[in-house]
Amino acid sequence: MSSIFGIYSGPTYYPTMKKTPHLTSESAACCWMPLFALRSETARRPELVAHPVALVASDDTRRVWQVSPLARRAGVKPGMTVSQAIGLCPALKLCEPDPVHYDEQFEQLIAALTAVSPVVEPVELGRVFVGTDGLEGLYGAPEKIVEAIKCGMRNVLNAECGMRNAECKGKRREANDPSRKFRTPHSAFRIGWGRGKFVAWVAATRAKPGETVLVPVGGEAKFLASQPLAVLPLDPDTHRRLQQLGVKTLGALVALPEEAVVSQFGGPGRRLWRLAAGLVSEPVVGRVVPEPIVAALTFFTPVGERGLLAHALDKLIDRALGDPRRSGWRVQVVRVRAELEHGASWLVTATLKDPSATRERIAAPLKTQLERSPPAGAVERLVVEFTAFAPGTAELQLFAHDASAAARAGRRRALQSAAREIALRIRRPMLYHVIEVQPWSRLPERRYALIDFEA
Amino acid sequence: MRNGTDRLRAVNVPQPAVVELDAVGSPAKIEMRSAEFGMRNNDMQEPVTIEAVRETWRIDDEWWREPITRTYYEVLLQGGARLVLFVDLVTLEWFVQKP
Repeated sequence: MSSIFGIYSGPTYYPTMKKTPHLTSESAACCWMPLFALRSETARRPELVAHPVALVASDDTRRVWQVSPLARRAGVKPGMTVSQAIGLCPALKLCEPDPVHYDEQFEQLIAALTAVSPVVEPVELGRVFVGTDGLEGLYGAPEKIVEAIKCGMRNVLNAECGMRNAECKGKRREANDPSRKFRTPHSAFRIGWGRGKFVAWVAATRAKPGETVLVPVGGEAKFLASQPLAVLPLDPDTHRRLQQLGVKTLGALVALPEEAVVSQFGGPGRRLWRLAAGLVSEPVVGRVVPEPIVAALTFFTPVGERGLLAHALDKLIDRALGDPRRSGWRVQVVRVRAELEHGASWLVTATLKDPSATRERIAAPLKTQLERSPPAGAVERLVVEFTAFAPGTAELQLFAHDASAAARAGRRRALQSAAREIALRIRRPMLYHVIEVQPWSRLPERRYALIDFEA
Repeated sequence: MRNGTDRLRAVNVPQPAVVELDAVGSPAKIEMRSAEFGMRNNDMQEPVTIEAVRETWRIDDEWWREPITRTYYEVLLQGGARLVLFVDLVTLEWFVQKP
């Protein structure tokens, strides 16, 4: 559904809030709903609940992405090919994914959590950390804070599945079969609370659906000791090696000397050991909500041809790049949403390793995705969003990369606009063309000269 | 409206420097403005010792109108920086210039 084309290690800035420090919180609540996308789908199509259901992967429509418990019981597993899945479970209902809908549902949930705490850090669809430092004054003990979080989520999710609170309670009472449990989304949320994100996440994975596991401050090591190794962020090779060494729980890992683990697994080994010992406490970092730059296009007739879509993508990126708010900033994260015929959707997100203000470089990863996993149907509306930005050159952010890139591409108009803006801001000509005067001269100062760039 | 020539600004114009010579007439110390060291202010820096002269060459040009005669020195400064300076043999003034 989303793709990351590189890792940008530098800071991310958002034009509207660049000077706002990030809020952080050491105590964390992790709210986790496994199969969020599938649950969102069944919440809006209740007729699916009684059937084994699977969502098709949006990046490979031949494979199954998320599988309902009923389908899982029939042997269907995520990653299977559709034909294998149907072979195992002929009654399987396959659904086209609607990532835009899932994203919207998740955003609503995050908005509800933001009303409880200002420090909210979404991690992935269905998993979000809520910072709880300082909330004692508002809600009381951690149990009460968690209750406030649950209440906030319940309101959103009940509205989402079209049920009032009383109705939901009634449904819960009658819900003993797994299909009904699957239908009421709030009952699927698991919450973990503890010091730092790792402890909160592990606690959430230990919680039953709709319930909470709280890890008291100071009790992290004791809680973690009995947890299986799988809760650590391990690569398969390290996991296999630890298993071969007979290390099956975090307690067994911590029982080994830290230096011995480091000598076997290097720097990452130290981090794993410290996580397992409860010595690492990563704070929840509140996200700064950027104001995205959006360009959208509604087609007169739905478009399925990739060439046309790529062309429309170029035009939309150009339009978004031309937004005055983008001046002096390079684009770091770009998202493309497509509304398809018959209500489905398509969503691609690209994080640029080198933030750019050049259309070609922004479009490249999106076009690759368009080729690799095109929309499953004809597109009715295409939307490009720039959602994160990095500053232009430190020397002169106004000019940044965009003007030079624009000049190279022959887009003189963009260059002139940048030049005019610079002239307005700093009130003296600072832009020049370098021209050859006597490039053969033995006197260095005679070879080249600067001439004013006139917008 | 300025004409074309007015709008031109030379690039790599020589920057004045104060150079102390050693007993044999080679540059030994140089004093110049901060900008030549890549700093933003334009103050004069403390004299910097020239560790070695790596190369010298001479340019004689424009003898037909106003003769230009320079001896260039490519030097290594204390600390390892590399610099090109020249003495104008007509006025005996020293300058720093990128080659």
